[in-house]
Amino acid sequence: MSAAAARQMNLGVFAVGNGNHVAGWRHPGAARSGDDIGNYIDIGQRAEAAAMDLMFLADNVRCDLGDHPGFASRTEPFTTLSAVAAHTRRIGLVASGSTSYTEPYNLARFVASLDHISAGRAGWNLVTTNTPASAENFGVEMVAHDERYEIAAEYIEVVQGLWDGWEPGARVMDAESGRFFDPARVHELGHRGKHFSVRGPLNVSRCPQGQPVIFQAGSSRAGQAFAARYADVVLAVQINFELARNFCASLKRDVAAGGRDPDHCKVLPGFLPVVGGTEAEAKAKLDTLAGYVDESVGFRTMTDRIGHDFSSYPLDGPIPDLPLPSEVQGYARMMLTPEYRATHTLRDLYNNFAVSRGYLISCGTPEQIADTMEAWFAGGACDGFIVAPAHFPEALDDFTEGVLPVLRARGLFREAYSGTTLRDHLGLPVPANRYARDS
Amino acid sequence: MERDTERMHLGVYAAGTGNHVAGWRYAGASQSGEDFEAFRRIAESAERGRLDFFFVGDNLACVPEEHPGMVARLEPFTLLSALAPLTRHIGLIGTASTTYCQPYSLARRFASLDHISGGRGGWNVVTTSSPESAANFGLDTLTAHDLRYRMADEFAEAVKGLWDSWEGGARIADPETGVYVDAARIHPLDHEGEFYSVRGPLNHSRSPQGRPVIVQAGSSESGQAFASRHAELLFSVQQEIDAARAFRRGILSRARAQGRDARWIRVLPGLMPVLGGTEAEARGKLDVLGRFVDDSAAMHLMSDRLGYDMSRYSLDEPVPDLPRSEHIHGYVDVHIARARKAGQTLRDLYNLFAAARGHAVVSGTPEQIADMMEEWFRARACDGFVLLPAYFPAGLDEFVDEVVPILQKRGLFRTEYEGTTLRSQLGLPVPENRYSAQRASGTGQVKRSRGATSAPTLHHT
Repeated sequence: MSAAAARQMNLGVFAVGNGNHVAGWRHPGAARSGDDIGNYIDIGQRAEAAAMDLMFLADNVRCDLGDHPGFASRTEPFTTLSAVAAHTRRIGLVASGSTSYTEPYNLARFVASLDHISAGRAGWNLVTTNTPASAENFGVEMVAHDERYEIAAEYIEVVQGLWDGWEPGARVMDAESGRFFDPARVHELGHRGKHFSVRGPLNVSRCPQGQPVIFQAGSSRAGQAFAARYADVVLAVQINFELARNFCASLKRDVAAGGRDPDHCKVLPGFLPVVGGTEAEAKAKLDTLAGYVDESVGFRTMTDRIGHDFSSYPLDGPIPDLPLPSEVQGYARMMLTPEYRATHTLRDLYNNFAVSRGYLISCGTPEQIADTMEAWFAGGACDGFIVAPAHFPEALDDFTEGVLPVLRARGLFREAYSGTTLRDHLGLPVPANRYARDS
Repeated sequence: MERDTERMHLGVYAAGTGNHVAGWRYAGASQSGEDFEAFRRIAESAERGRLDFFFVGDNLACVPEEHPGMVARLEPFTLLSALAPLTRHIGLIGTASTTYCQPYSLARRFASLDHISGGRGGWNVVTTSSPESAANFGLDTLTAHDLRYRMADEFAEAVKGLWDSWEGGARIADPETGVYVDAARIHPLDHEGEFYSVRGPLNHSRSPQGRPVIVQAGSSESGQAFASRHAELLFSVQQEIDAARAFRRGILSRARAQGRDARWIRVLPGLMPVLGGTEAEARGKLDVLGRFVDDSAAMHLMSDRLGYDMSRYSLDEPVPDLPRSEHIHGYVDVHIARARKAGQTLRDLYNLFAAARGHAVVSGTPEQIADMMEEWFRARACDGFVLLPAYFPAGLDEFVDEVVPILQKRGLFRTEYEGTTLRSQLGLPVPENRYSAQRASGTGQVKRSRGATSAPTLHHT
């Protein structure tokens, strides 16, 4: 055996029932519904057949008819992934859950329960939820951006504390003696903080992964500091290699400075592949996809992401240089760099948001797409990708059947799963339980 | 009393460690509230027996002194959603609290479960009474009982409103035209109440059942008031046939007073069936289970049920002549008299009162159990039962294999499923969407959704 196994990518699939592209559902044969469980089970099974690391579900808590149609009506992530868990055996299952509208005790249970049901495949994508429309569904005021991260930090401390409440071996279940569990190994959390007060213990015992995997997507300064401290995986929005490399290096420096192994914080940018037999065929596919988009929806998607309504500006002109409102953080700032402005028109920006919601688009032959992925991966810009197919199932199959074999031939992606848990797939160790004594 | 069907409805209360407090110790019994495969076997066995539904309780705290199945357990939404694609007909009822969650989140999760299961979701509404739960949600003291139910009432109204926010047919998804939804059929709720403020609409299209079935199990005065307004299925605690009949009559009449049609309410008491080839064999099983329970814990439970301090007696002594207590219910007198006449011990009484957390226990041959069930059903003391097998899987399998065929032969229970939704199993109608109803009536004007005039239909052309 070599001294160290060759480093391989981690690849997830971003599951949106009616496609990641805002109008991907219009593609012939594409799934059209965000609330048909059959779609999600199918996505999970296809991604698992391709030995991908995980299936990722975003979430929001509002119905906005102007947004991506997949977000207007969709099954709730924890229920969805539990159903997928019953029909898969290996693939990781990552659900987004908001720290603003779910009590930490409830959320800790959902994730832990999913981890038990899936035998160690659960992940939680921590979101702070940043829309006033969501707040109105819960009768609360919107919280300022940086304060949301302060709340999130206390929240995750509570959740991880609850997950540690049952030590390994706390469940005894000895029918002879009648001893069901060992109370000395079950611990109250006794948390009393600024935002939460939670006694514990959790009514779910230690889960198969010990601690389910933490995902985080914020790329603002506050978001990055948070990720460096807590995230096992960062879902990044990056479209420029240099910037992505800088972000990755800076994040991993912060991770190391906080005393964690930088290898245990994976950076996975969102990535929308458009695969063709030839470059021309791929370009034609992308044009077809862009042609599905209604201008008003395209502008609306862009407006939501960058906080300005650009619909009165000419599409083929430059990107207007307006200051970004404070509500809009890393996501838009990452896009609207001086370099990007200098080389792109408003139409490019618009297409990027409408087609991929801002994620990196790679269009070409399987080899060309694999080249891009390899360049980013080998160049230190990421540890892999969250692949966001424009529509399902065809665009996912295009990737798994076209691009994955090329990556495998280059030794960049696994042939088959070597483990059973999401931590196994990501190469993350199981953290020690805080209460565990000698073991 | 009117009843639209002469067939019972039967559900199973799925507790991973068995419903008897020591059921997990029984030979071959499943021992964990977190073993998904064990729950899967329960659901499959229940579906084989053509049962109406699979029911899971819930709590929001880990209390070591409680029933072991409640100390560590899978969370209901995740459990039921995972079971949904593995089953086809059986209803999936989950317990969820109105005190420690928000209407929008809860409405979504049940709508999602209903979609995932193709119309088999049900919500058992609880207000959560344990102080330990309050401490897990930042409250130093438990919210007062009546206040909890006032909140629950408003909560349930908001949830029902959210479930109606998408009319049927609101999603068009026509790839040719690019029209995805008809915004005129999607409505905000704009609820502003005493406890909740919810704008809506829900980010979930109308679920297959229109509304998941609403279930309620509390029997306090406020619990019954809530049930009479909202519940379509009542899971009640009854020990005695006359009291059960009076309870059912009472709740139906209260529902009628609320303007509801009592034909669409099912009252199902809990029942722990313990089967044996002979009566003695069945009693023996109950004794085995009873002996697993620590005597002092058993006495504690007995005192609680009887309303009298029993600590000075021994479980294996004959039932003493107890003085009347203020707290004793009428049925307790009946059972004490019966036990004394039959020369039974306190342990026998314990097996009756405490083994099933207050629910009725019936032990005997399959015929005897079917007789008891038929008697209650024909006397209109109930519309069926929620079965609480003492242990799994055998406790349920025996019932399915031995009692269900008798009930079927007597014409008291279905031999095949006739539908695929929980409402169809329970014989309950699909509630009409409030906005569709206005539209259909033609008299009232359909309340337009906010902004509907400026964005009539969502286009992607």
